Amino acid sequence: MRRSTAAAVGTLTGAALIAGVRLSVSAPVVTAAPPAVDLANSGSSPAPSKKPAHNKEAAKRNDANGGGSAAADASGLKDGVYKGKATDYAYGTIQVSIKVDGGKITSADATYPATGLSASINPNAIAQLKEETLEKQSAKVNTVSGATLTSASYRTSLQAALDAAGA
Amino acid sequence: MGTVVSIELADDLPESSLAALVDDTCAWLHEVDRRFSTYSDDSEVCRFRRGELPLDACSPDLRHVLDACADLWRDTDGYFDAYATGPLDPSGYVKGWSVEVASARLAAGGSHRHYINAGGDIRMRGLNPDGRPWRVGIRHPWEADKLSWVLALTDGAVATSGTYERGEHVWNPRTGEPARGLRSVTVVGSDLALADAYATAALAMGEAGIAWLAKRVADGYESAVVTDDGRAFSSTGLPAAV
Repeated sequence: MRRSTAAAVGTLTGAALIAGVRLSVSAPVVTAAPPAVDLANSGSSPAPSKKPAHNKEAAKRNDANGGGSAAADASGLKDGVYKGKATDYAYGTIQVSIKVDGGKITSADATYPATGLSASINPNAIAQLKEETLEKQSAKVNTVSGATLTSASYRTSLQAALDAAGA
Repeated sequence: MGTVVSIELADDLPESSLAALVDDTCAWLHEVDRRFSTYSDDSEVCRFRRGELPLDACSPDLRHVLDACADLWRDTDGYFDAYATGPLDPSGYVKGWSVEVASARLAAGGSHRHYINAGGDIRMRGLNPDGRPWRVGIRHPWEADKLSWVLALTDGAVATSGTYERGEHVWNPRTGEPARGLRSVTVVGSDLALADAYATAALAMGEAGIAWLAKRVADGYESAVVTDDGRAFSSTGLPAAV
């Protein structure tokens, strides 16, 4: 089977973080991301802090600037799910989301288009046979494909008429 | 084999050359029959399945056929099964393969515009006598003198499997009963042996074959199907004549 990979790069506004996501043929389609945290407003985080030293402070604070238990960490991101700006590519729109837990990126996903022009390279777009009206024509042809004829049927078949005409 | 074979050569070659090419094709098809028939006791296939011929003494052709049958068994989820009747019977593959090879031999012998139609399974190359792609009609599954689709191809294969001629000759290995649901399956692609095997396997699957055939599109195989109750389906890339 043909394999195709697509690389998507998204820039997360507000955090100046570049996240690269490589999509392979076996990657599952993600069409609904978990509840996202909007970076501009830093909504609340569901994840409790893993650093006990901060708990007391976190419990007192109840600010809108999210994840009361957000830990100081290398990435500088509070826990939660972050969605990047939806970016248009030649074959559709891609939006990357990352999940931050305990200050580390724990997963990354991307939604990618499953319909339209991109369906031809989207591994999850499955071709379908389309239903149509069964036609009954008498067109001129060079040869006929059908279920294998018995010798008797051959004699009266279209193919026999073609063979005779060519002789 | 008992199958009628129609051959047309459209090359601009001397009559004697064309005649020789046709003779060579017939000789090859007879040779295939001799070596692969399950009805003649001293065919290679019969000797192999009686254990008289070890695998390493089999001809490259027979080894290829055995390999191909194994691959098809896997790719069709067991609906193509050379052991379906018990002892090895690779006829379902050999039929299309022999014509595929015959067409290759014609090309090697100088014919680049021809078709070989063996019992409704066709391999064509190049242009027809009018200098256009070969026009192939798909027989209507109820009316013998009508066509349901007309295709146009230069290089390629068209294979049709149907229940309207020899009746219930295709079996569903899961139910152990004659296949039901589809009356005619036509597969178009580059290799006649595969197109033929796919058409027969899809017919055996019944209506589930329609979805299975859709997956073959990615491998370059288009199809046209008619159900027992007269509904027609085709893949969008089917090379219909305009």
